[in-house]
Amino acid sequence: MSKPKVASDWMAGCSGCHMSFLDIDERIVKLVELVDLRSTPITDLKQPDEAGVDVGILEGGINNTANEEVAKLMRSRCKILVAFGDCAVFGGVPALRNFFTIEDSLKRVYKDIESNDAEAIIPSDPELCKPTRVRAVHEVVPVDIFMPGCPPDADIIFYVLSELAQGRMPELKNDKLMWN
Amino acid sequence: MVNITIDDKKFEVPEGTTVLNAAREAGIDIPTLCNHPMLTPYGGCRLCLVEVDGFRTLQPSCTLPVINNMVIRTDTPKVRAARKFILNMIFSERNHFCPYCLVSGGDCELQNAAYAEGMTHWDLMPNWEPHLLDASHPYIIIEHNRCILCRRCVRACSELVGNFTLGFEERGAQCTLVADLGVPLGESSCIGCGTCVQVCPTGAMIERWSAYHGLEKDVKRTKTICVGCSVGCGIETISRNNRLVGIDGDWDASVNNGVICDIGRFHPVNDERIRLTMPMMIKNGSRVEVSREEALRSAAEYTKSNKKEQTIAVISTRLPIEALDVFKQLFSAIGILATTLEEGLKTKPIATLADSGRYPTEATLDELSHSDCVMVIGEDITKDHQVTSFFIKRRVPSGLKIISVSSEPVGLKNFSRLHLKINAGSEVEFIQSLINTCKSEKIDEQSKTGIKPDDFQQVVDWLKTSKNPLIMYGQEYFKNKFLDAVEKLTELAEASHAKLISTKGGANSLAASQLGLDQPISLDGVKNVFFVVGDERLSEPVLKKFEKVSNLIVLASYHSPLTDVAQIVLPIQTWLEDEGTYLNVDGRLQKSIRSFEATNQIKSCTDELLSMAEYVGVEIDKNWKTRLTQRRSPVEIDENKMKEIQ
Amino acid sequence: MTTKKITIEPVTRIEGHAKITIRFNEDGSVEHAYLHINEFRGFEKFCEGRLISEMPTITPRICGICPVSHHLGSAKAGDAVLGVVPPRPATLLRELMHMGQVVQSHGMHFFELAGPDLLLGFDADPATRNVVGLIQSNPELALRAVALRKWGQEIIRIVGGRRIHPNFAIPGGVNKALSTVEREEILKGIDDCIATTLTGIQLYLQWAEAHQEDVNKFAVFPSGYLGLVTPENGLELYDGNIRLKDASGKQLECFSAKDYLDYISEHIENWSYLKFPYYKKMGYPAGVYRVGPLGRLNASDKIDTPLAQEEFLRFKALNKGKPVENTLHYHYARLIETLFAIERVRILLDDPDILSTDIYNNRFNFQGEGVGIIEAPRGTLFHHYWAKENGQIIKLNLIVATGNNNWAMCNAVDSVAKTYIHGPEITEGQLNRIEAAVRAHDPCLSCSTHAIGQMPIVIDIRDTNNQLIKQVRRYA
Repeated sequence: MSKPKVASDWMAGCSGCHMSFLDIDERIVKLVELVDLRSTPITDLKQPDEAGVDVGILEGGINNTANEEVAKLMRSRCKILVAFGDCAVFGGVPALRNFFTIEDSLKRVYKDIESNDAEAIIPSDPELCKPTRVRAVHEVVPVDIFMPGCPPDADIIFYVLSELAQGRMPELKNDKLMWN
Repeated sequence: MVNITIDDKKFEVPEGTTVLNAAREAGIDIPTLCNHPMLTPYGGCRLCLVEVDGFRTLQPSCTLPVINNMVIRTDTPKVRAARKFILNMIFSERNHFCPYCLVSGGDCELQNAAYAEGMTHWDLMPNWEPHLLDASHPYIIIEHNRCILCRRCVRACSELVGNFTLGFEERGAQCTLVADLGVPLGESSCIGCGTCVQVCPTGAMIERWSAYHGLEKDVKRTKTICVGCSVGCGIETISRNNRLVGIDGDWDASVNNGVICDIGRFHPVNDERIRLTMPMMIKNGSRVEVSREEALRSAAEYTKSNKKEQTIAVISTRLPIEALDVFKQLFSAIGILATTLEEGLKTKPIATLADSGRYPTEATLDELSHSDCVMVIGEDITKDHQVTSFFIKRRVPSGLKIISVSSEPVGLKNFSRLHLKINAGSEVEFIQSLINTCKSEKIDEQSKTGIKPDDFQQVVDWLKTSKNPLIMYGQEYFKNKFLDAVEKLTELAEASHAKLISTKGGANSLAASQLGLDQPISLDGVKNVFFVVGDERLSEPVLKKFEKVSNLIVLASYHSPLTDVAQIVLPIQTWLEDEGTYLNVDGRLQKSIRSFEATNQIKSCTDELLSMAEYVGVEIDKNWKTRLTQRRSPVEIDENKMKEIQ
Repeated sequence: MTTKKITIEPVTRIEGHAKITIRFNEDGSVEHAYLHINEFRGFEKFCEGRLISEMPTITPRICGICPVSHHLGSAKAGDAVLGVVPPRPATLLRELMHMGQVVQSHGMHFFELAGPDLLLGFDADPATRNVVGLIQSNPELALRAVALRKWGQEIIRIVGGRRIHPNFAIPGGVNKALSTVEREEILKGIDDCIATTLTGIQLYLQWAEAHQEDVNKFAVFPSGYLGLVTPENGLELYDGNIRLKDASGKQLECFSAKDYLDYISEHIENWSYLKFPYYKKMGYPAGVYRVGPLGRLNASDKIDTPLAQEEFLRFKALNKGKPVENTLHYHYARLIETLFAIERVRILLDDPDILSTDIYNNRFNFQGEGVGIIEAPRGTLFHHYWAKENGQIIKLNLIVATGNNNWAMCNAVDSVAKTYIHGPEITEGQLNRIEAAVRAHDPCLSCSTHAIGQMPIVIDIRDTNNQLIKQVRRYA
């Protein structure tokens, strides 16, 4: 049996969950023996394999049209989807933006801020995505495993990945369950 | 006794026990959120739902009394599903941001409840409607986004403190916590005691000065007593890295059962004064740091060599009995007048009467909980001795008749069945008129007090017909007529069959009085003052009074205008670093326990005074207990406690 | 010939979401390349109404690589708003945590993010051109790199309780002192980390020598340079005044954080959510400046720790004392800063105040407005808060590290595209080089847009009518 393929991506998060993943330190050597890391933000493959991966991991919530695409793509190409970190699980700190309208947020940042120069405009190039309400991943695509934490501890991440690598569903409870 | 079955095990419990308490007694833990051991059950959160045979729906165990032969199941799939669903509903109702919340990571009862159910996420998402963050109060911040509407704060504010400030308004999704009729907390009737914060299960109620200083796992708790006033409430200091980060009321303390006031809870954490770290002396016109030995030696020489009549010694009543006793012995031996900053004003008249056997033994504070009528005169107890006012105010719903008497508005006014506004300075006449009314003697219609005979009659009627009537009094408004007042109050107590409670004053006022440290301070002709300030915050009048003294020797914890001009300054430990015994208003002897070690090798007041005594050449006897009881006291001093204390 | 546009989405091995589009002239040469930063979260809006005491725990969620920069910058802004000066031991502890962060972030970037390009080659197989490939090809070096990052992260955890998003600094000081045992634990790792960093420097210098041509044509351009400095203009990463030099190395300004609005403005382009900070007096784009390791070393005149100073002199010599303009030398500068940070850790741990429990000052003198600055690994970070006396934030401005480098990154992308791409056939290696231009700046795009993102690379080749001619996708 070949190693399970794992792909990850990040959306409206801060990359802290992926950094916590790197906090497994030397265990990364053991991990790459257990899994085949495909596309991730820190490797150079850009998208999850068209042929599909076993585990898809998404960090960050969804706060724009580009994130929606990323989430849908990952869901369509993986068997098990993991919502990685508080932002993916419920929206996280970026969800504070939902207290305000997107218009007000754009206006404050791109028009009114004290350091903006006189020609301040709100970016609107078609190359750019559009901001949307901040949502948890499971509000956009079905999620199989929720790994809360901000970020989840490296030990928890290692546990989840090793369980999945060995064909088991991880059980997150007691010292493996954290939201802070 | 009632027979019940919980989770297939049989138990016998007293009638009236709730299912929750019965389960807990049996070692079965049912999760709760709105429930709190010090508050009446509410049944609001529904987390404690259990299956009961014969009942159609799940039942809240916190409010359900046991019935004979009841069969209860606390751990079925239906119960577990209900708990998860309830928690889901709670999380979706408001905006819970665990990532950055100050109690997240161990101190949030909501988060811990979710962990216990293995919740990794919520299916129902909030609608992200923003709720208010009320930061209008100097000490207490309410973050409504985290409120779970458990009502603990409302119950604490009414049942424990009796201030009735907090409440709920509106229903359903609009239901929300409000202060008074919906004003910012900082503009409300809130007295800032912080009991609401202590009971809040989430990060909805925040203590401004303690926020982010550490979770429970980072801090150290020490059970000790507050030395803010004579009540001596039991508290828990919360410290980290040798610094105070918070204070909680000690639920286990029998004096106050966990309630404390804002002076006890918030003032010490918010202390901005600068610590004295080194002994200092003025030499050749300038202030220099000296060794402790030099400071003590110089102080001793100074005290010995100067004319006795030109020297007095003053000490703060915040210091333990051990220090007060050494102080008294030391200066009596040298022949120098020794007294406290209070000058015995609040205690001497009572002590004199008590010693001569003409004063009835006072009631204790817990008698306020089974009295039907209390009259309060001579002090605004909601300012000084606040916690005594809690014991009184919270009994309004159960019918306690409160009579407050004062010439100016006092905090008890709005809680009183009868508030009598008397003319200023007529307090003693007022009491006399009551005595006359008791004896059915005529009262002068044109009474100096401005109070009508009908009102006097009402007061007397209530005192005479109530169970355990009490008269609580302080010295403040009586001013220099306190001795008369106490004599009259003694007469009134006898005539109306009421008992007396005097508030006394500072933490160890009563002890100081018992030790004879109760002389008035006159600075006429006084050139030298040996001033043990301790950690007391000196008022403007006191600072002004003592600034003019030519030679000051000060033992203090903090810098002040006095330490700036003193000849000799010796730093001493604060109440948090020191240990010692305190005699509270009720006659209880309580120990103040050290919360953390002093730095810079600063010693306790008692140690410095003992060292002084060595330098002066006075032998000190350490057995203060005999001296504490050498005169009869207005309250019964707890003999049992005396034996316990070493 | 039709005008073409090429899109690179996402740029990988950077922190954040970036997209590059390249527009071609009629003759097939590159007309312009754009770096679109494609995300916006809005911290500068949604922090309104929060408490000052919450800001040091909210703002680190801007970035998970350098949360400590935001944590400390926010606490410093809180200090300024509340008019409080933390006790010296608190400042030492904050700096200690910050040095740990600089080491872990710089270390990770060189060995794990940028490293694969240098150590495995720009044109290496993308499937293995990453940290995993490094582990497989040079396990010993990879483990040392992991150990370097680990030591940095452990400093943060030891000092503040947790590696990522610690709760440690508060306005007025910090909430945890350092114990003797903890101090010993940190001291233990210093020598190995210095060795690893020196190895990294060696590796880079060897690579640079072997690729002189690349080094000299890869995004080499003039700009201003900005960074914090000590009173004697030495490199500073925690506190100090802000120094700005022009392209020739002459000092233009040296100002205090609170005055930044007098000197720095932000320009906005329609095609990027990331703003473009620049030196007000020279206007945009003449007044653009670079920050981060290259910017800081160019802005300073010396480094106060011996090993780093030795390398610094070598660095300065690269352009005979004038500012070093080669984008690839960011990697060298980054490692020199890592050396400095490790040496600072030793100095801090040897300070007698480092174990003191005098770590919090509650004597506030409310000012209402305050600016906190700090050198995040990627550049100068500004947190500017306006608050009500009740502690709630009225409004805030954040100019975040990498954002200062926006123009430089865009320019680098444009420059590399024009240097290396000449015809309609584009190799994966060429695209990777363009990404490397971004990568060299070690951008923290989460930070800079106070948001992040990333997308796969798809290259659409379209004609003037925007009809798709060809699509080149890049993934295995």
